[in-house]
Amino acid sequence: MKKRNLFLAAAASIATLGGLVSCDDSANKIRVWVGEESVDFYRTKVEEFKKANADFTYEIEVKGMDTGAAAGTITQDPSAAADIYTVAHDNIGKLVAANCAKPLMDTELVEQINKDNPDSFKSVIKSLDASGTERVYAAPYISQALFLYYNKTAVTAEQAQTFEGLKEAAAAAGTKAWTVTGDDGFNNSFTVLARKVGADGKQAGTSVKIYEGATSDGKSKGTSNFQGDDTIASLRFMQRSIKDNNGFKWASSDGWEKDFKNNGVLAVIGGAWHFNSAKAAVGEANLGMTLIPTYTLTAADVAGLTDVAEGDVYRGGTFADCKVFMINASSKADKYVSEQKLVKFLSSKEVQDASFADVSNVPAYEGASTKIKELFDAKKITESQYQLAAAQTDMAAWGIPQPFITGTLNTYYYSKNASQIYKAMIDGSKYPTTGDTILDETTSLAGIRKGLYTMEYTWMHGKVPTSFPENLPTKA
Amino acid sequence: MMNSNVSKPKHYRSQKKANAVSLAVTYLILIVMSIIWLIPFVWVVLSSFRCEYVDGTFVGTVTSNFFPKALGFTNYKNLFTATYYGVSHAFPRWLLNTLIVAIVDCIISTFLVLSVAYCMSKLKFKLRKAFMNITMIIGLFPGFLSMIAIYFLLKSMGLSGNSDNPTLNIVGLVLAYSAGAGLGFQIAKGFFDIIPNSLVESAKLDGCSNFKIFIKIIIPLAKPIIIYQALMSFTGPWMDFIFAKVIIGSGNPECWTVAVGLYSLLFGTHPDTNLFTQFAAGCVIVSLPITTLFMFLQKYYVEGVTAGAVKG
Amino acid sequence: MAPSIKSAPINKVKKDNFFVRFGRGIGEWFTNFGKRFADGSIGTKLSHFIFGAGNFYHKQYIKGTMFLVLQILIILFLVLCPSVNGTPYGYKALANLSLSNVTEGGDFDPNTGAFTQGSNCMLMVLFGFVTIAVIIIYIILWFKSIQSSYKADMDIKVGKKPTTFIEDLKELLDSKFHVLMLTPTCIAALVFTVLPTIFMISLAFSTYNQQDMDAQMTTLFHWNGFHNFVAVFTGDGTLGMEIKNRFFPVLGWTLVWAILATVTCYFGGIILALLINKKGLKGKKIFRTIFILTIAVPQFISLLAVRNILGEYGPVNSLLQNLGWTTGPIGFLGLNAADNEYLAKVMVVIINLWVGIPYTMLMTSGILMNIPSDLYEAATVDGASKTKMFFKITLPYVIFVTTPYLISSFVGNINSFNTIFLLTGGGPTYVGYQAGGTDLLVTWLYKVTIDQGSYNTGAVIGIFTFMITATITLVTYRRSKAYNEEDTFQ
Repeated sequence: MKKRNLFLAAAASIATLGGLVSCDDSANKIRVWVGEESVDFYRTKVEEFKKANADFTYEIEVKGMDTGAAAGTITQDPSAAADIYTVAHDNIGKLVAANCAKPLMDTELVEQINKDNPDSFKSVIKSLDASGTERVYAAPYISQALFLYYNKTAVTAEQAQTFEGLKEAAAAAGTKAWTVTGDDGFNNSFTVLARKVGADGKQAGTSVKIYEGATSDGKSKGTSNFQGDDTIASLRFMQRSIKDNNGFKWASSDGWEKDFKNNGVLAVIGGAWHFNSAKAAVGEANLGMTLIPTYTLTAADVAGLTDVAEGDVYRGGTFADCKVFMINASSKADKYVSEQKLVKFLSSKEVQDASFADVSNVPAYEGASTKIKELFDAKKITESQYQLAAAQTDMAAWGIPQPFITGTLNTYYYSKNASQIYKAMIDGSKYPTTGDTILDETTSLAGIRKGLYTMEYTWMHGKVPTSFPENLPTKA
Repeated sequence: MMNSNVSKPKHYRSQKKANAVSLAVTYLILIVMSIIWLIPFVWVVLSSFRCEYVDGTFVGTVTSNFFPKALGFTNYKNLFTATYYGVSHAFPRWLLNTLIVAIVDCIISTFLVLSVAYCMSKLKFKLRKAFMNITMIIGLFPGFLSMIAIYFLLKSMGLSGNSDNPTLNIVGLVLAYSAGAGLGFQIAKGFFDIIPNSLVESAKLDGCSNFKIFIKIIIPLAKPIIIYQALMSFTGPWMDFIFAKVIIGSGNPECWTVAVGLYSLLFGTHPDTNLFTQFAAGCVIVSLPITTLFMFLQKYYVEGVTAGAVKG
Repeated sequence: MAPSIKSAPINKVKKDNFFVRFGRGIGEWFTNFGKRFADGSIGTKLSHFIFGAGNFYHKQYIKGTMFLVLQILIILFLVLCPSVNGTPYGYKALANLSLSNVTEGGDFDPNTGAFTQGSNCMLMVLFGFVTIAVIIIYIILWFKSIQSSYKADMDIKVGKKPTTFIEDLKELLDSKFHVLMLTPTCIAALVFTVLPTIFMISLAFSTYNQQDMDAQMTTLFHWNGFHNFVAVFTGDGTLGMEIKNRFFPVLGWTLVWAILATVTCYFGGIILALLINKKGLKGKKIFRTIFILTIAVPQFISLLAVRNILGEYGPVNSLLQNLGWTTGPIGFLGLNAADNEYLAKVMVVIINLWVGIPYTMLMTSGILMNIPSDLYEAATVDGASKTKMFFKITLPYVIFVTTPYLISSFVGNINSFNTIFLLTGGGPTYVGYQAGGTDLLVTWLYKVTIDQGSYNTGAVIGIFTFMITATITLVTYRRSKAYNEEDTFQ
């Protein structure tokens, strides 16, 4: 008698490999992934859309997704992802490079995108297709920026305008002034992107450059300048703030909200997605929201520097980002026209407004703040919703969108430890880079210059430098 | 510690006294240990019943006070009715999914473990030692490195990454959980090794086939180890929060298991930390059936070992 | 009578070494093969080309059909090349395995909406291996088909009838019972363990590193020989420095952790079992139930609870500060970079006791009651003290029965993902490195592969890890009593 297991082994292997005929339910269905917090909203909207467009033949299925994890899920197996998905805009370059996105070519849709959005967003939703032509790949519909949450019981509205005021309040309360929600390259943008405030209270001078003018073909990574005197002065401000007993602290390992709740800090620099937790930490009535404060440089901050002067005022900056809808490249070709129609609807001003009133998604289109004021005056949104939107849209004016139009730049900025170097510099701890080069101190001017050079080099080359140029600052 | 204070009693009285002392010490140790063991669980349970408000806002975050200021069932009510990831009544669905996965996994895994363990312990055949060595070597590779490969192999069978019919992904998950179970036969084999070979030999002399011996002699004696294996494989799916998400897919929250769901609620990319008390309530609900099962079955588990006809 | 555990001598049969036997096996195989073709019946000869032909010749229709169907299925599979995600199986997959004929794709036709996908190198490799496995199965089946027919020839030669299907089945329930019982596990192991493992190992010889690929704006990777292994020592590449500087510290801690965790939980469990099973103790059941809680409650719940309790604002730190014992919060679990690494290490070992002791307690409770009482009776007659009996009888017995458990829990601890991932997340972090102070190889691998997408680096770490653990395990296992003296207690 022959070994029966071989039969079974073979049979099972065949079964393993043989289940290849997949039935095609998806042919007449368009699947949409949206942020998990607003699924119900978009389901209702999609119903309205179907009613208004009787000729729209496809069924539409809306599902919730962790938008932060979406890009990873999509690149791993695009064919299992939705036809229309949503991601934060800094993933666009990566998704296009990984053959996960189709360009948006419908004239009406592209027109709408170009008409509605501010230039800053328009420049980051483009990428090159395989033939080398620049195309629009994404439709913005939510804007996101960092701003300040503060505890009204201990901080007055006036104190919340400056970091000095925050520190004063913290000294009175015997605690630390402010914290962040994470120490990554997005959350530290409040200090990386700090900008000088002019006498008129508006932006004066330029902030640092990160990939400015980079091209989507990846041939040019643009210019980065992270070695200016103002950057050093800002870093020194952070260095003295973290040493200050009533100054800055990194997010607690228990989570920033515990610090906020227990008066471990009086303020938090966070985004709209932290609203629920912030509210729960101090109570809605005690929760203040405003711009990221300003700070004034001291003599110590500017020691040895020429481009900055004692008394200069800077405001914390932010990455001002958008969430976008994109079309999956693995989606069936014949759905393309309808998909674009749906994207046009989902990213329209009207739906953005409704989504703000309904689920507090701050609209991305240009001039949204006027509309938000109208909605507030018409009592369609609550006071804190209004404050949140106002703080965020005002702050967006002080920020720049993450300029990561290719996957490379995104990888270099986020995965290559530059933010860890920055953290080490703020903490004054040393940072091991390569076997031969070590930032053995990050407190002296020379140490700071080396550190900033290392970061800039990392952003541009994806690795740490093996040696430092003779005369810093030098362009990488 | 356990027997040292009972060293060679000289006469009955001092022995009795020494026994009493040692018993008291034992109680003390056990009670202290029990308290240490219980604290984290008590904390989770208390958190799940916490019902505090700050200025009208429900506080669902972690708090540093061990004992809540107010108690209530709000978290449980919200947990069962809330919509997570756009799935209405997501939690009960996740529970049901997990229950199904756990039951099927339990049946298949236990069967596979028993059959392999029996072969390894009581049958002599070519390649037996080779098989044992190979399985051990394979077991040394960290599993999740193969996660992506398993995902695509299952996808080839339509059992993962299937967005048309995501329920099939659950089948894939069961398969992935239970398929490898047979390779974890070592404990059951250790148990079978204690069953005297003479029982098997005499049955063979009576003309029993190996199949009959397995069914009629080994299985009845193996009750404790069956229960042990069943318990282990039943509880596995309630605890895995990484593999299950990959196989079922982040985009199919309605098919998630409860561990994936609960973990994602609190540790997603933009977690809502205000859901912590609901998370705790979920934890209590998840732990209840498994714990009850453990309490109910531990008697079989521990005493079953002695009850069998194993004692030589 | 007190049988001594050490008494049974082992009959060591001197065997030829593996390679000699292997070589001889292959020789015999070819000899047999030729012989079968030469003096087999027409059916047997035909079986060399059509599976099951011999079985049909001998009127074993069911068996013959099974062979034939399998042959047809496999050939269809190899020729038709079914595909998943645009990547084919079958003969095309074999060609794809070289990763030489690949395209970036990305062409888009706006008029039709059609998008050209590029090659998926990862699936090409995976499906190539699957196809090789199918071909191997085909060869084995081919051989078995011939053998089956030849055996029927031989049966006829000696005047017996070829076996019927029913007889075959009966055999499967008796003398071939192990075949029936092991088959499902073997198939499962092939599909879900062996193939993925081979696939993973192969990636160590490739440039599959998502970060590098992103930086080079490509979706493709290729083979690059032993380059990645060399990079471990030279520190080249994306994660080269990381591996060069962190591999040995992480490996060392992994081994220390595995030994500490295994030994402490094992003896802790035995002691707890002895305490609970103490004669005269009341409330055994209640105690046992309490301890079982750590097994019953999923770890992502229980360990996260512990993490919160020991956290910066957790009850423990509040208590310590309220008592005035500490001025600031203590970073027990190394969640901040500045926390003490050794404190975190001690804490995970201690917290692991909380999780691990109940397992051994349950395991050994049963075994303790199961120790043949005549062993103790004999010892009592000999006047042995209780302590002596514990060390001479109880402990050796328990260790004997649980050796496989000990080994598997050692390996389990080397790969103890949950404990570290949920408690410390590998922290405290080493600024500039992925691998933190409490990271085990397995959690480090998770960071390198799942977080960073450096599959080739991960595979290299995996292979080194495997070589070390496999050596340790095989040495201990082969020396263990349970392996060498399997029959002693039976």
